[in-house]
Amino acid sequence: MTKRISAALLSALMMLALLSGCGAGNGTPAPTATPAQTEGGAEAGDTAAKAGRAASNELNVGIAQDFDSLDPDYMTAAGTKEILFNMFEGLVKPNAEGEIVPAVASEVSKSEDGLQYVFTLREGVKFHNGKAVTPEDVVWSIERRRGGEDTAAQLAALAVISEVKAEGNTVTVSLSEPSNEFLAYLMNAYILPAGYTEQETAPVGTGPYRFVSRTVQDSLVLERFEDYWGTPGKLDRVTFRILENNEGLILGLQSGALDLVAHLTSDQIAQLDSGEFETAVGSMNLVQALYLNNAEKPFDDLRVRQAFCYAVDKQAVIDLAFDGYGIPLGTSMFPSFSKYYDGSLTDYYSHDPEKAKELLAEAGYPDGLDVTITVPSNYTPHVNTATVLVELLKEAGVRATVEPVDWGSWLENVYGNRQYQCTVTGLSSDNMTARKLLERFGTGIGNNFTNYSNAEYDEILAQAIAAGDDAEQTELYRSLERNLTENAANVYIQDMADLVAVRKGLEGLTFYPIYVLDISALSWT
Amino acid sequence: MRYVLTRLGMLLATMLLVSFLTFAAFEAVSGDPARNLLGTEATEEQVMALREELGLDRPFLLRYAEWLAGFFSGNLGVSYSYRQPVGKLIGPKLEISLCLSLMSFVMIAVISIPLGIFSYHRTGGFADWPRTVFNQLCMAVPPFFTGILVSWIFGILMKVFTPGDFPGFRQDFGESVRHLFFGAVCLGIPRIAMTVRMLRATVIEEMNKAYVRTAISRGHDRRGVLTSHVLKNSMVPVVTFLGQTLAELVGAGIVVEQVLGIPGLGRFLVLSISHRDYPVVQTIVVILAFWVVLAGTLADLINQSIDPRLRLGGNRG
Repeated sequence: MTKRISAALLSALMMLALLSGCGAGNGTPAPTATPAQTEGGAEAGDTAAKAGRAASNELNVGIAQDFDSLDPDYMTAAGTKEILFNMFEGLVKPNAEGEIVPAVASEVSKSEDGLQYVFTLREGVKFHNGKAVTPEDVVWSIERRRGGEDTAAQLAALAVISEVKAEGNTVTVSLSEPSNEFLAYLMNAYILPAGYTEQETAPVGTGPYRFVSRTVQDSLVLERFEDYWGTPGKLDRVTFRILENNEGLILGLQSGALDLVAHLTSDQIAQLDSGEFETAVGSMNLVQALYLNNAEKPFDDLRVRQAFCYAVDKQAVIDLAFDGYGIPLGTSMFPSFSKYYDGSLTDYYSHDPEKAKELLAEAGYPDGLDVTITVPSNYTPHVNTATVLVELLKEAGVRATVEPVDWGSWLENVYGNRQYQCTVTGLSSDNMTARKLLERFGTGIGNNFTNYSNAEYDEILAQAIAAGDDAEQTELYRSLERNLTENAANVYIQDMADLVAVRKGLEGLTFYPIYVLDISALSWT
Repeated sequence: MRYVLTRLGMLLATMLLVSFLTFAAFEAVSGDPARNLLGTEATEEQVMALREELGLDRPFLLRYAEWLAGFFSGNLGVSYSYRQPVGKLIGPKLEISLCLSLMSFVMIAVISIPLGIFSYHRTGGFADWPRTVFNQLCMAVPPFFTGILVSWIFGILMKVFTPGDFPGFRQDFGESVRHLFFGAVCLGIPRIAMTVRMLRATVIEEMNKAYVRTAISRGHDRRGVLTSHVLKNSMVPVVTFLGQTLAELVGAGIVVEQVLGIPGLGRFLVLSISHRDYPVVQTIVVILAFWVVLAGTLADLINQSIDPRLRLGGNRG
């Protein structure tokens, strides 16, 4: 008898679940509307979960991927840099306004010829293990980055350093040639204890938060570093929970397990109760585009590239795949780098499928053509964009197909071996320089996976990098942007929006012009 | 003795074959662990240097032989992605996945066997068709959907556990087990439905056999015949099926682990494949192969004790 009851109970539960599942699945258009019947129960529990963490001054953040390394010199994933920003600092570091400010160094002076930088170390900077930072630590850290035995830890841009010397309380860095962007690149030379070999399992830095524990593919726990030299963090303890599944992240927010999740889609935001969560909208600072292999048919022909630019309605992509969140772009630069950004290039190619058809016919494709868009399947926004592009390109007679490949294959075939026609991805600059975004289109540059090659571009690029004067350099970078647009190097789409779900009561979230999540300013009200 | 030896041989052969095939599969698909580790900013020289450091520039068979030698001497290698010994990384994941699978398995066995017999009793009754529909439904729901449903009902509405906040055995054992229990439910539902259906079909088939009719005509009551003869005879295919279920459970947790935020072996396997982290993938695959053979052997042994005819190694039926 009891079996029958339990079976009945089980079926009743399943039915209930199905019904409520359907209700949620229908979707509410705006993040404001929520199913009323769930509110009472959910609120009580979540407030309790929140109150618990707020009372103990803790925070749980959900992230979508594991850390590729806890040794900052080895980390390459944007998602890792985003978080470890809170643990590690260089002699200088970025702030939210996009400026480079002194960190472990308190003062920086540059020689007249731009070949020597003298850094005065800040008094009383300590490592997370309690030891004071010495000039020797600084020299060791920069040497490791510039070209020690550890090839994987090397930062190619720091090859410009010819010598690093400690003297009293200062460190002198000499360059083989002047470089305006040297300090920006130096931000990524993190100051670590000299000779310390346990970074991977017990990382030690100088940032406002320090390492407590890590469970591979599960979580990373940080706590406030009490001896931090600058403004200390407000939260006592922050746990990053890794949930690579989108549903998992949303369930985590709804269940009260998580308080903050960044980089969500508008669909996911719509599933959340607006009574519990606020949505902060920032920018990802990525140049999302249909990147074209300029060396391969059909994209070795300028007319075909331009035809694609005319065929793609950027706003349509943003509306259809991103619910209208996103800023259209026309070149390899985004608005938060306001100094370099040229907004007039956005509408250089107005949406015009007829013109696209004409250009294709001129180029020898009167009946249209077939192309394959290779996309990394783990990046849903890029896959969705490609799907919309297929529809948009149809208008111009282009028969495009989407080929999703896993990240490893994408890296090897598309990015490494450049065996592809076109791909959707986003490119960023992790050190706030225009150079990082533009240098990659120079002929023969290692990461120029689009094979863009333009003599004029190469010439201006060389001038820009060597330019001593900031205003002159800025002007040169701007003309590079124009060159990319005029030659239709790629089909530029947008700077993607960064939608962040934040539990009510949590404040202090700031967006940086680079991809970082600064937890030191966050606090519960 | 001979049986044990055959089984051991089979185990070894399976593990060897599976590990070799995995190694070969990685050789065939594109993707370079060195490039994966170094990301998009690396120079060609850096990629080459790391390939050399990881030994990826050497011939395929040599690498396999080395891995094999390492494996048998207890050295599982070092994960490319985590730069930590594979054994240390996999240990805690294995604990969790084993616990999840065993819980789920016990649940399946304990619920589906009585339910299967009960559902035989009701054959042709008024409540038969809704139950069949329900059974079909349970079999058909994909695990991610069950995962979302279960998290939603028990996690968000009823607050029995917190999806996305798995504390870990060392931190909070009770809470961890509770978390895993719901994962086990998600894994169990379709398999319970399948086992019930299978048992029911076997019992019906068995009950229509001549010996049952004879027994009943000789005056035994139906229930008695069912419990003393039919059940035992129906068990062989069910045990075999349960053995297969046990085998697949360890790997089947992938989706449920992702949805419920359980840091288990399945998730780790998927991630390691996408990172081309060969040492980790190889080890997990060998563990899974071992598990599959082990489950098969267990099912075999139980079946032999149920049906002595199987002991002679002869064919059934």
